[in-house]
Amino acid sequence: MTSAVKKKVCYYYDSDIGNYYYGQGHPMKPHRIRMTHNLLLNYGLYRKMEIYRPHKATAEEMTKFHSDEYIRFLRSIRPDNMSEYNKQMQRFNVGEDCPVFDGLYEFCQLSGGGSVAAAVKLNKQAADICINWGGGLHHAKKSEASGFCYVNDIVLGILELLKYHQRVLYIDIDVHHGDGVEEAFYTTDRVMTVSFHKYGEYFPGTGDLRDIGAGKGKYYAVNIPLRDGMDDESYESIFVPIITKVMETFQPSAVVLQCGADSLTGDRLGCFNLTVRGHGKCVEFVKKYNLPFLMVGGGGYTIRNVSRCWTYETSVALGTEIANELPYNDYFEYFGPDFKLHISPSNMANQNTSEYLEKIKTRLFENLRMLPHAPGVQVQSIPEDGVNDESEDEDKVSPDERLPESTQDKRISGDNEFSESEDEGEGGRRDHRNYNKQRKRPRLDPNDPSESKVKEEEKMQIDDTISKTSSTTA
Amino acid sequence: MVFAEKTNDSLRNGRRSRGPSPIQSISSLSSDEESGEKIRVGKEYQAVVPPLIPPNERRPELTNDRALLVWEPTNDISDAKLDNYISVAKEKYGYNGEQALGMLFWHKHILQSALNDLPNFTPFPDEWTVEDKVLFEQAFQFHGKSFHRIRQMLPDKSIATLVKHYYSWKKTRCRTSLMDKHAKKLSARASNSEEGAVASDGGSEVGSITDSDSEDKKEGAETKTSCGNCAVLCTVAQTTSKGPLCNSCYTHWRRTGATRPTIGPAKPRDRHANSVLARSKRKPPRGMYINHDDLVIISADSPQNGEVILKALDREIVSLKRQVQANKQTISALKSKTAEGLGELRPSDNNSRINTRWTNEEMLLAVQGVRMHGKDFNTIAEVLGTKTETHLRLFYAKERKRYNLDKVVAEYEAEHGPSQSSSEQKMDVDGDTGQSSPSSPANQKPSTTSPSGSTANKTK
Repeated sequence: MTSAVKKKVCYYYDSDIGNYYYGQGHPMKPHRIRMTHNLLLNYGLYRKMEIYRPHKATAEEMTKFHSDEYIRFLRSIRPDNMSEYNKQMQRFNVGEDCPVFDGLYEFCQLSGGGSVAAAVKLNKQAADICINWGGGLHHAKKSEASGFCYVNDIVLGILELLKYHQRVLYIDIDVHHGDGVEEAFYTTDRVMTVSFHKYGEYFPGTGDLRDIGAGKGKYYAVNIPLRDGMDDESYESIFVPIITKVMETFQPSAVVLQCGADSLTGDRLGCFNLTVRGHGKCVEFVKKYNLPFLMVGGGGYTIRNVSRCWTYETSVALGTEIANELPYNDYFEYFGPDFKLHISPSNMANQNTSEYLEKIKTRLFENLRMLPHAPGVQVQSIPEDGVNDESEDEDKVSPDERLPESTQDKRISGDNEFSESEDEGEGGRRDHRNYNKQRKRPRLDPNDPSESKVKEEEKMQIDDTISKTSSTTA
Repeated sequence: MVFAEKTNDSLRNGRRSRGPSPIQSISSLSSDEESGEKIRVGKEYQAVVPPLIPPNERRPELTNDRALLVWEPTNDISDAKLDNYISVAKEKYGYNGEQALGMLFWHKHILQSALNDLPNFTPFPDEWTVEDKVLFEQAFQFHGKSFHRIRQMLPDKSIATLVKHYYSWKKTRCRTSLMDKHAKKLSARASNSEEGAVASDGGSEVGSITDSDSEDKKEGAETKTSCGNCAVLCTVAQTTSKGPLCNSCYTHWRRTGATRPTIGPAKPRDRHANSVLARSKRKPPRGMYINHDDLVIISADSPQNGEVILKALDREIVSLKRQVQANKQTISALKSKTAEGLGELRPSDNNSRINTRWTNEEMLLAVQGVRMHGKDFNTIAEVLGTKTETHLRLFYAKERKRYNLDKVVAEYEAEHGPSQSSSEQKMDVDGDTGQSSPSSPANQKPSTTSPSGSTANKTK
C-alpha cells in the first residue's frame, strides 16, 4: 500500500445476490459476496467508496457476447420446468455442475450488470478502480455454461471497455484456468488474457503453456500452468515478472483482474497455498500501474476465506490499512475460532520448484517477444495511460496514420469471420484438430440430468476410481 | 438436530471427496497433452469485438450509469461522528449500517437532518415469527438444505428469504450448540444418576437459558421422575430433547422454544466447593447473571414481552461484541506500533542533541526562560531543546546566585501572580513521573531537594 494517491473506488453490489442458492452440497455460494459486503461495511471501508446497485443486465446486453438462443434458454429455464428442456440442458451444459436453481437468470443479470456498469464507469473516467465481487464468472462460454458460470460478466465488461480502449489486459488469478474469457478473445489482439492456474488433471483442462492464441490473437493468450501448493513467495516470483513484461509489451490502457479466491490455502476445491496477503499482493501490484482497473470476484469455496480475501483486496484498492482483528459483523461466527482477517498457509508441499517456474517464465518471455510492440495502435495512446508512456515513444509506428476507420472496420469484420483455414495455414500442432466438435470434453451422457439421485451416487464414486468413471462416461 | 447435522456432514464430506467437480476427474482421464481440452476457434466461440469509438465521437456523459448510486463518501463528517450516527441508528431504531448510511446519503450527508429523519422510517421488521422459525428448523431437519421442500412447509416465504434466514440462523445454531451439548450431557447424566442429581439440584439456584433446537424424540422417561428443568417431582413428565419436563416447563418450552426459566439470580459460587457433578449443573456460565424480574416477565406474561426482553438482550450482546472487537483492533494497532520499536516514542532529544555543557547562549536563554516561564522548567527545556528539565533544575540551583535568578522569578511572579505554586506542583508531578528525564537519580536528587521547594514553602 505504498501509493500515496487515494484512488476513487466504485463498488457494485446488489443486496439480493446472497440469496441465490445453487443447491444442496454445491460448493458455489453466492452468500460469500454478502459476507464480504458485511465485512466491508463493518470495517468502515464501505463509507470510503461510491456504492452502486447495478441494474440487471438485459438480454440484449448479454447477447453482446452470448448467443441469443443460450440467453433465451437461461431466461426460460426454471427448476419446475426443467424436464421440458432436457435436450437444451444437455446442449448448454446446464444441469450438473451448473444446476438450474431458483432465480438463476436474475443471478446472471446481477453479476453481469455489475461488471458492465463498472466498465461503463471506467470508460467515463469517473472512477479509478471498480469492484464487482459478484462477477468474475470466467468459465462461461458463448453458448455454454461451465464450472458454475452461466453468463460471462467479464467478457461483457471487457467488450464495454473495448469501446473506449484499444487494448485491454485481462489477468486471472483464480486457481482454475480462465478458459471462458480466453476463448472469447482467442483470436483478437485487442485483449490479452493472462491466466495463472493449476494445470494437469484439473478443471477445466485447458490452459496449456503452449496455448497462445490463434489468428490475429496469436501470442495474445498467456497461460501460466502451475502445480499444487503454490505459496505466496513462488506466486509473486512468477506473477511480478510476467505482468511486468506483459505491461511493457502489450501496453494496455485498461486492466481487468479476476480475483478468484480459490487459489487461497484451504480452499474446498483449490490446491494452492496462498494467504490473503499473497493473493492481495497481485492486486497491489496491478494497481500500481494506475490504469483504469476493474476487479471482479470469481471462484472461492471456503467462504470465510473468500470474504476475508475480498475484504482485504478492497482495502488494498482503497489504499487503507485495516486491522487484523475482524470487526463484529452479521456473520461473525463464521470466522471463528480466531476472528482474524489474515490466514496462515498450510504445510503442504509446494510442487512448483523454482527451476520449473523459471522454465515457464523463459518460455513465456520468448512468446511475448513475438508481440509487435504496442500492437494495433490506431489512436494516440489514451491520456490516462500514464505509466508506460516512455516505452511507447520507442515505438516506430506513427499511430494516427496507420489505420483509417475503413481499415479498422475491415479488420474487425475479419475477426468475426475468422475461419479455420486461416488457422491451419499457421501450421503447428493445431492442424489436425477439429474445432467444431460439439463436445469439448467427454461427458456423462444423455439420461443423467433427469435423475439426480443416481447422478449423486455416481459423482461420489467418480473420484475414487478412474476406471469407474470411464465406464460412466462410456 | 444432531442427526440432521451428522447426515449433512457426511453428505458434504462424501461430495467433497469426489473432488471439485465431476468434470475434473473425467478430464483427468484425458489430461494427456494431446487429447486435453482445447480452446475452440470459430464464430460460435469468440466474442465480437466492438470497434473503438474515436475520442471525438465519445459521449461519456450521455451513457447511462446502469447502476443506482446508494452511497458516496464524504469528507465533511469525521469517522467518529459517522460511527456515532450509525450506532444510534442501529441501536435506537433498528437500522443496519447500510440503511443508516443510505439515509444519510438521502439527506445529502447532512447529519442532523438524517438523525431527525431516522424515527420516521422503521426498517422492515423481522417478518420471521417464532412459529416460522420453529417451522423452519423442523423443515430443515427433514429436508436439509433443499429449500424447495422447506418452502412447502412455509409457503409464504420465498426461496430467497429462506436462504437468507438459513445463513443467519446457521451461525446462531452454532452459537447455541454449545449450550445444547451442555444440556444434553446434563440430561444424560440426570437419567444415569437420577437421585444424586435431584438431591444436589434441589437447593441450588440455577437457571437454564438454553435455546431449543426442537427435536422431538428419544429418551423414554420413567413415570415418577423429576423435571429436568425445574427439578420438580412429577408423575407425568413429557419427554423432550431437554430431558423429562414437568407440564409447566413443557408447555412453556413448546410455546416459546426456550426452556422455562426457573429461578434466579444465580449467585457466584465458590468453585472449589463444587463437586464435578455440581459444576456441570445447569447454571449459566461464569459471569452471567439472570435478572429475576425479566425471567418472571418472560415466563408469566405474554410471549411478546419476553421477546422484547430477549431482543434487547440480544442487542446488548451484539453491541458488546462490537465493542470487544473494536477494542481488540485498537489493542493490536497499538501493539503493532510498539512492535515497530519504541524509538519513536522516546524523547528523541536525549542522545546527541542533549548536552550537559552549558554554552553562553544557552545560559542566556535559560535566564530569559525563567523570566518568561517562572519555574516551569519543563517548558523552558522544551524551548531550549538541548537541555532536559533536570538540567535546568540543576542550573537553577547552581546558578541562582550568579544570575540573581530569585529576583527574576520574583519579577515573573509579580507579573503572573501566584502561579508559582501551581507551576511548582506541576514540576513536582513531572519530577515524580520522571517523564523525559534520562538523568540518573543522583542527578535528580538535588532538584527535588532544591531551593525551589523551599521557596515554594516560603511563598506559602
